[in-house]
Amino acid sequence: MRLLANLALQNLGRRKARSFLLIAAVAIGSGVVFTGATLMRSIDDSMAVGFTRLGADMMVVPEGALTNITAALLTVEPTDLVLDADVLARASIASLGRIAPQKIVRVGHSGIGGHHDLVDLIGIDPARDFTIQPWLKEKLNRELRAGDVILGAGRDVPLGSQLLIFGKPHLVYGKLGRTGVGTHERGVFMSFATLEALTGSMPQHGDVRPAALSPGKVTGFLVELAPGATALQARFAILSAVKGAKVVTGDSSLSGIRQGLAALLQGILALMILMFASMAVMVSVLFSAIVTERRGELGLLKAIGARRAQLVGMMVIEAVIATGVGGVLGVALGVLVMRLYERSLVYYLDNIGVPFIWLDLPQTVAYAAAAIVLASAIGALGALYPAWRASRRDAYELVRGES
Amino acid sequence: MLACRQVSKSYRTERGIVTAVAGIDLDVAAGRFAAIIGRSGSGKSTLMAMIGGLSRPSGGTVTIDGTDLWRLSDNALSEFRNGKIGYVFQFASLLPTLRLIDNVALPAMLGRRHGASGSYARAAGLLERMGLGGYLDAYPSEISAGEQRRVAIARALINDPALLLADEPTSDLDEQTESEIMDVLLTINREVGTTLILVTHNLALAEKAQQVVHIANGALVA
Repeated sequence: MRLLANLALQNLGRRKARSFLLIAAVAIGSGVVFTGATLMRSIDDSMAVGFTRLGADMMVVPEGALTNITAALLTVEPTDLVLDADVLARASIASLGRIAPQKIVRVGHSGIGGHHDLVDLIGIDPARDFTIQPWLKEKLNRELRAGDVILGAGRDVPLGSQLLIFGKPHLVYGKLGRTGVGTHERGVFMSFATLEALTGSMPQHGDVRPAALSPGKVTGFLVELAPGATALQARFAILSAVKGAKVVTGDSSLSGIRQGLAALLQGILALMILMFASMAVMVSVLFSAIVTERRGELGLLKAIGARRAQLVGMMVIEAVIATGVGGVLGVALGVLVMRLYERSLVYYLDNIGVPFIWLDLPQTVAYAAAAIVLASAIGALGALYPAWRASRRDAYELVRGES
Repeated sequence: MLACRQVSKSYRTERGIVTAVAGIDLDVAAGRFAAIIGRSGSGKSTLMAMIGGLSRPSGGTVTIDGTDLWRLSDNALSEFRNGKIGYVFQFASLLPTLRLIDNVALPAMLGRRHGASGSYARAAGLLERMGLGGYLDAYPSEISAGEQRRVAIARALINDPALLLADEPTSDLDEQTESEIMDVLLTINREVGTTLILVTHNLALAEKAQQVVHIANGALVA
């Protein structure tokens, strides 16, 4: 094995210019793939957050409820009108994607803020919510639990501190970033269970309690369209299936952008796969030429007793060394490109408040390792067939080809 | 030692089937020096390649020390070539990226017979015998054509082969060097007892052989 590796290394050193070009080509290819894959995943994650931050595509509330429509974010306004929590699930509408139910109660004398401040207590289902949690700017390093609250950016209470709501202690689990939307800025968010647990502590006007606090009832739903579905289709489907509901749609262009960009990312992925495939073909063609050029040497080695496996092994090791080194250099190149990207575009995006979430370190390392392994595998596969074919030929035929 | 029975070799070409060797019978006893002579294109190198396990015959058998060469598996044939047969080709056949000592030790390393240190000790000894003891670390491009041929002989001898095949080993050398190379080959044949088969079109060289095989148009000339 060591002998074959030495021979392979010496062969690479013999044709320095060609080895350099091969390594450079593989470095560029694997660098593009590594950088592309890492950036694409980062963009994908960032888009997922960014688009979710843009809020829902539409909102389903009881007929007669007030709604707040801003350019980018749909929010439900507190109301005494409610819907059944499972009304959309029962309707089973294909044009709907994610559905996040919310309960909203506006209360005074809660202990939060000034004595007369009205506070929106907003119940969410953490497992289904996609409009509040993406705005989390800071949070405790665990899941949201009963008794935890999330505060809007307008409330200046430290993370992890205790907050009394109607005399009951709650823990500040997280804080939202600035949204510019009142409900989000001043709201106090919690799970349905936490909100419903406050029912007994709230001052009552006679026997009347806010309808939204009743189990199985919600103030409204924030809805994301299914891929390819239009707001019009969804609106008609909801109105025909749910009696007494009102459908409010936001900026429809956002849905289009979301769906279009997802398709674009798929297209980029396909292009990267094509690029890798073309690199594999190029390496294969190159090694086919190298094997042809070196048939005399292969014949000689065969004549002095090298086995077919040893000949194939030598060529494959040579290819793996060249493409592996190319892969490592490609990853290094990719890291440099991403640093440049971070200092320019990502910095700019950050300044204008657009989040860019880099792939975490373990995943980035995994992508780098995959790029190097793939580059090496392409080398091995590219050299395997021409080497195997040459090894099958008579030694004399190979030797005579050279001489 | 060597027995060829009805050995033949045909090639399929665009102009039809070309017969390079047509049913040759040949016996060479152990320790003898046989010369195969003939004009260019007579089929002597093709016959040599079939004897040496380098080219599969279209028909017939080649037996060396009782082993039917072409009935061996690919790996067994490689092992047989490595241990039993030494080759000296008609061109400089050294690997240019390897030092002389690496070139000579290579067959022993491939055959894993003597271990790395044993292989290199043997290679150094052989180069010493060839008068190249001072060039162990030199590369092929740093020595003359005659010296390269002596290195090729040393490489052929590294595994103590029973049969040494030399295919026009002096064709591109001057007379003085040719004579030196032939002396080396004959010394090995006489002193070590290695069977030597030499392909040549030089009749003066063939006269030194104990057995001369004349080939014309792929067949033995009576």
